[in-house]
Amino acid sequence: MRFSVQTIGSASSKATPATLPSNLFPMLFEKLLVGERLLVLDLGQATASTVQFFNQFKCRLNFVDLFSADFVVNPQDEATHEELVAEFQAAINLPVGSRLDICLFWDFFTYLDGPALRAFIEALDPFVDSNTRGHSLGVLNARNGLPYCEYGIQNMDYLHQTDRKGSQLPIYPHSQRDLNSLLNYFEIDKSRLMPDGRVEYFLLENRNQTATPNRYF
Amino acid sequence: MIGPGVKIEGQITSDENLVIEGKVNGSIIAKNHEVTVGKSGNLKANISANVVNIEGIVKGDISGTEKVVISKTGNVLGNIQSPRVTLEDGAKFKGSIEMDPDEKMQSELPVTSVSSSNVLSAETARADKKASQA
Repeated sequence: MRFSVQTIGSASSKATPATLPSNLFPMLFEKLLVGERLLVLDLGQATASTVQFFNQFKCRLNFVDLFSADFVVNPQDEATHEELVAEFQAAINLPVGSRLDICLFWDFFTYLDGPALRAFIEALDPFVDSNTRGHSLGVLNARNGLPYCEYGIQNMDYLHQTDRKGSQLPIYPHSQRDLNSLLNYFEIDKSRLMPDGRVEYFLLENRNQTATPNRYF
Repeated sequence: MIGPGVKIEGQITSDENLVIEGKVNGSIIAKNHEVTVGKSGNLKANISANVVNIEGIVKGDISGTEKVVISKTGNVLGNIQSPRVTLEDGAKFKGSIEMDPDEKMQSELPVTSVSSSNVLSAETARADKKASQA
């Protein structure tokens, strides 16, 4: 089910800065009630900074490192949509009935082609409701490189990034329009072009199309 | 202490602090004490204690009444439940962490405003989405 692979190099040979300022990340935490138990999905590796950050919250923090999942690293060309959805469901492995408050996608979407991203979004569907918010990073086109990083949370305004070991997976830049379409029930509520050419997105569940835009500004 | 040459299968209940450098398959309970899995420790076991320090390998769930610390040499596959959890740089962990800090910490949650520089709104995104679907 994989189509042509568009591979681009990493951003540069320069060392990746340890911190990445984020304007949109704090929006994940707006309107949360103090003391409310959060259910958080982190698609990356468990990092010291992220665990430290969430120590201040009553929460369940689920680390599902899909970046290293075998079916992502070594995709089967002949895999059907249903098979891909099943692979993602098994990897996500959340208890039935769970409803996510925060999804930390990092730059995972950029490592999935359209069909794979559709399958991932379908697999996540049962755990998303109107309170679910997401944060994501990406690149808009092949001109912008994507550093091969693992991410954590330094604080509300800064993400932590360190070079990831191993070979970078093929990259599939998605335009914002394409991404909005692929994300189905998620909507890019806000996006911000970052100084190094990456883009950060703040996502809201939007099955109800009457949701008010610009609710935060 | 359970030395590196010791292998235990079954449940260990301890009324004192415990250091494990060997292999354990089963479960470890030390309700009011500290359990340390040393660098050569290799457990397929659930651990329940007041404080749990992991420097070795654990496959199993961990419950710490006070805190759980996974050091840089630690490697844990399982779920952790504790008011405070520390993962040192370099530590490997796969699973979920259930944390419940005390009320004082929660009341100190940071409040940050969001600046709007370079931020595109949902209105633009929604228009793009409609164009894409057309």
